[in-house]
Amino acid sequence: MLSLATAAPAVGAAFVASTVEVVEAFTIVLAVSTLRGVRPALAGTAAALVVLGLIVAVLAPVLSLVPLAALQLPIGVLLLLFGLGWLRKAVLRASGLMALHDEDKIFAREQAELRAETAKAGRGADWLAGMTAFQAVLLEGLEVVFIVIAVGAGRGLVAWAAIGALGACAAVLGAGALIHKPLSRVPENTLKFAVGVMLSAFGVFWTAEGLGAAWPGGDLTLFALVGVFLVAALVMVALLRPRAVEAAS
Amino acid sequence: MSVVREVFEELWSMFVGDRRLTLLLLAVIGLAAVVAIVIGQKVLADGIILAGAVAVLADSVLAAARKSR
Repeated sequence: MLSLATAAPAVGAAFVASTVEVVEAFTIVLAVSTLRGVRPALAGTAAALVVLGLIVAVLAPVLSLVPLAALQLPIGVLLLLFGLGWLRKAVLRASGLMALHDEDKIFAREQAELRAETAKAGRGADWLAGMTAFQAVLLEGLEVVFIVIAVGAGRGLVAWAAIGALGACAAVLGAGALIHKPLSRVPENTLKFAVGVMLSAFGVFWTAEGLGAAWPGGDLTLFALVGVFLVAALVMVALLRPRAVEAAS
Repeated sequence: MSVVREVFEELWSMFVGDRRLTLLLLAVIGLAAVVAIVIGQKVLADGIILAGAVAVLADSVLAAARKSR
């Protein structure tokens, strides 16, 4: 029977990581919607969801043919690359060496860019707006698909990870529909920090298992790995903060 | 075509956003693979991957901090 220690990290990581991605896509779709109306925004979003659905429909049966042991190493390495990349940015942002991600600023910038482009496009303005929404949802959606496969495939938990991702979509879209503004109060930088920690921990776990190593403590080791990355990242932030203050003064 | 190009650029940046981090991490995993498969020290390989990943992160963060000065 599936234990909570096995499923919870996959569902939690997929939920938090997908929240970040869906918030980013929502900001751009909202910019399209407020500038050119709901139709191109919805059309672009729907088209991207169809493409994402096709990608999942092709990938899922192919992945189910590959033995789990053969998937663990490549997925572990990709997760480590992805997770460490996120954690690196999160540490730099938390320490003040990199500007924080700001959905309000991104919303304003996207609107300004789209306004300039649609003014030039004339009759093709709605098409251009739809393509902007399509591209945003497709790119962020691809990251969600990767995260779901990566955190779920190593233990046959893709369906559980997908539930986490769908929960994130429902939560973000529900909040977005209610307030109809960029979700700038979502603590995106903190979430990215958490996602970087979790994905890096998953990456180490699957990479070692893919090389045939067994962790003492089994799946519970994931929690210890999360602790190691969390402490290491917090120490890096504490060490870099004075440097950021010095650079700013 | 620009959408397809952007998709590939996005996928590339997802995994190879920082070339130094990618190369160092692959070197760590290569070392761990030798230790696990050739020498047969699997617990040591666990340690190499974990310590190596933290060290690669620290190196990448410090390199970015030096650049931002």
